[in-house]
Amino acid sequence: MSDTPKRPARAIKLNVLNEPKESYTGGKSSLCPGCGHDQISSVIINAAWENGIEPHRVAKMSGIGCSSKTPAYYLGQSHGFNTVHGRMPSVTTGAYTINKDLLYIGVSGDGDSASIGIGQLIHAIRRNMDMVYIIENNGVYGLTKGQYSATADIGSKKKKGTPNTTQPIDLCALAINLGCTFVARSFSGSKKQLGSLIKAAMSHKGFALIDVISPCVTFNNNDESMRSYGYVKENEITLHMTDYIPHFNPVEEIDVPEGHYRDITLHDGSTIRLETISAEHDPESPVAALTALHNAESDKKHVTGLLYFDNTKPSLAEDLGLVDVPLVDVPDNVLRPGKEMLDKINAALHN
Amino acid sequence: METIANDFTINIATANGTGSQSANLILLQSLFEMGVPVSGKNMFPSNISGLPTWYIVRLSDLGYQAPGNRTHIQVLLNPATWDEDLESLEPGSVVIWNENAKMEMTRDDVVSYPIPMSALARKINPKIAKLVTNIIYVGVLAEMLGIDQAELEAAVAKQFKGKTSAIELNITALGLGRDYFKDNHTKNDPYVVEKRKIKKPQFFIEGNEAVALGCLFGGVQLLAWYPITPSSSLAEGIINYIPQLRTDDDGNTTCAVVQAEDELAAAGMVLGAGWAGGRGMTATSGPGISLMQEFIGLGYFAEIPSVFWDVNRVGPSTGLPTRTQQSDITMLYEGSHGDTQHIVLMPGTVEECFEFGWRAFDYAERFQTPIFGLSDLDLGMNRWACEGFEYPDQDMDRGKVVRDRDVFEAFEEFGRYLDVDGDGIPYRTLPGSGMDPILYRGTGHNSKGVYSEKPDDYYELMQRLKRKIDGARDILPAPILREETECEIGIIYLGSMENTIQEIDDILEATGIKVSQCRVRALPMHSEVENFISRHEMTIVLEINRDGQLYGILRKELPNSLITKVRSVAYSDGLPPRAGIYAERILETLKEEVE
Repeated sequence: MSDTPKRPARAIKLNVLNEPKESYTGGKSSLCPGCGHDQISSVIINAAWENGIEPHRVAKMSGIGCSSKTPAYYLGQSHGFNTVHGRMPSVTTGAYTINKDLLYIGVSGDGDSASIGIGQLIHAIRRNMDMVYIIENNGVYGLTKGQYSATADIGSKKKKGTPNTTQPIDLCALAINLGCTFVARSFSGSKKQLGSLIKAAMSHKGFALIDVISPCVTFNNNDESMRSYGYVKENEITLHMTDYIPHFNPVEEIDVPEGHYRDITLHDGSTIRLETISAEHDPESPVAALTALHNAESDKKHVTGLLYFDNTKPSLAEDLGLVDVPLVDVPDNVLRPGKEMLDKINAALHN
Repeated sequence: METIANDFTINIATANGTGSQSANLILLQSLFEMGVPVSGKNMFPSNISGLPTWYIVRLSDLGYQAPGNRTHIQVLLNPATWDEDLESLEPGSVVIWNENAKMEMTRDDVVSYPIPMSALARKINPKIAKLVTNIIYVGVLAEMLGIDQAELEAAVAKQFKGKTSAIELNITALGLGRDYFKDNHTKNDPYVVEKRKIKKPQFFIEGNEAVALGCLFGGVQLLAWYPITPSSSLAEGIINYIPQLRTDDDGNTTCAVVQAEDELAAAGMVLGAGWAGGRGMTATSGPGISLMQEFIGLGYFAEIPSVFWDVNRVGPSTGLPTRTQQSDITMLYEGSHGDTQHIVLMPGTVEECFEFGWRAFDYAERFQTPIFGLSDLDLGMNRWACEGFEYPDQDMDRGKVVRDRDVFEAFEEFGRYLDVDGDGIPYRTLPGSGMDPILYRGTGHNSKGVYSEKPDDYYELMQRLKRKIDGARDILPAPILREETECEIGIIYLGSMENTIQEIDDILEATGIKVSQCRVRALPMHSEVENFISRHEMTIVLEINRDGQLYGILRKELPNSLITKVRSVAYSDGLPPRAGIYAERILETLKEEVE
């Protein structure tokens, strides 16, 4: 035995499940240093830890691209599926029908979601499948070295080449028009706002889309780009301050803001608190949300916050009419009807 | 006049969407109930209403189920194909034709029975005269051929279960047809129907419905599909039986159904289900499989249990959507980019459609890979005699899934893609189980599932996958062999050709050639197929396509010494195989050998 005196153990902060934050981390990132996506990964880690989610009850889903590599960098104790380009929503839908009780966190990029996979995104929204869908949106294709994506703003110029002249697709506006039940926009640099939104999305039953502007430091972080760190910091319109109050914390512990605020209760009993900054935004009005998006676009600004919320629609599991127990746990002798049932069918066909 | 009993073909020419299908099924069902070996084939267009449709009914005491090489009795209702249909008849054929169709009878060398079908139908109900016209010709045929009225009425009752007014109307119309023939024509043809005693109780069923039932008894948990002819009735079969077979007392189900936005999404959902530990499937046709190629490769490489049913129609491209072919064999066996190899199950009977329906899930979970069922329009959408389905003779095989922490801990080393047992099949854990997770990926990976570009990792992975699928050969359904003692010529065939092979065999035998038969039922091919080839002096691979796809696979996999013993006879014109055409081509091939 060594006689070196042991250093006293430092108190490790634990969450409501008595888990340290390390239980939620993942592998080392291979993205460029300073990439917005890595900031988002760390916010996901924090959100899952603070929300007291059991790591093994999370399913990490992604498509293809820089963003879709990130599930390797968070929640190392969760199963995940890095699928094919743009098609993560369908794989998630299939997994969800078999195990509706997992928390599905999908991470996608603007190539994945606004181009090759836009159809699948639209239909996943239409079905109101329970999942958190984070778009790490930087306006360029990174892995293929810097082509514009379909979300690049008009007049924005990436590091190389000419300014973009093609009308961008605003995925938040699209989602609102499709009746998506949780639509938010955020910025990878706004850790507090993003954290509250992701936590709220985890508590939401239905499709929760968070479009996160996440600058590409290698191909699209120059001054003429409208998705650079500098540009977004100077041109962000924040709709409201956001606070998340988990259902297991008494509300009294949270400071009550001095000005106007509005509490929205989420499906698991948690609350997202929206504190008014200037004009009040009504997140239950699709018209208000679309107005905010259109105004921001014409002013060449980015509007962030919880744009739209609707908790009245049934989610996909309810629509499918499934048994309560997740299908993966239904025993084989229930899945396969008995012999007497086949005898009955044979007889019925004969008559 | 000498009579010809139970050995002729009736061809009924109508237009699509006029309601002739139910009349034709009543005819078929009544013949079937009389014990007459009969088959019906619907040659329908890709159209909702208006284009020509032919329904071919073959009666054959020898049990031949192919459409036959000629028409003996032509029922003519469709002016659009009138002349063409008439011209193609051999002298002496019978023509039952609608006098009210404003068309002429231009042949004087046939037995002509004009019937005012539209006028008779109008007598019953002018509003639905078009529909009723069809049942009139069934009445005429019944009188002319001697079909029992009792059997006809039973068939009507079966067709219109419980709908009293429809039943009454159809029986009245049958009577009108019967009476008109009796009062206005004297039978002047040799064709008659005679009752037969069937050995075993049988019923009629479409292959698609049989697969659907098989899937439900295989414990399917997710059906994700996109409508496409000729597979839609497979998916709808599952949907129709879910309330009876897979729904609890509260009305909740253990089988999810998602109508996907396209075939790509359907395939993605099937993979998602397999990844999560469930039994997912889709039903599609060739064009759908083309769209699913990307996911098929992912399923192979990431090793995800999944089931894909392909009801083959005529390609390439949109092709002939309502015609039959065996032309997706290569696409399924080697689907997706890169080196791949897939398990394909190829049923040839409705009983096998059911059996392979449930087995497919067992193979998918056993081998952790996409499994294809290959049916075709002929087998899938036409009705075939069935002796009843047999209950699965073994419990569901859920494959190598570690569900228990103790079992998991007992592994010396755990890796998602580690070949512990030497059969190339690794162990997996499920999302949500708390057992060691991995991030599944379509990128290169090592035995732990971690991204890797190392040459050794890639090489070993690809060799193991090859070993895994190769290992399935003798576990999959073995070929069905019917061998002659002489073992001179062998015929290898697959799928729905089963319904024509006996007739081909008889034609060949009539010329003095005895052939053995080997029906391949799965890919990769069982070792018995190779043994069959080596036992015979020459083997012909018979298939319904242009290029000889199964032949191509054999040439690639057989030892060099055997390749020279194999010949291809491949033919397709979109119609179900007619024995005469294939027999002739086999004879030509044999003749070339002699020369």
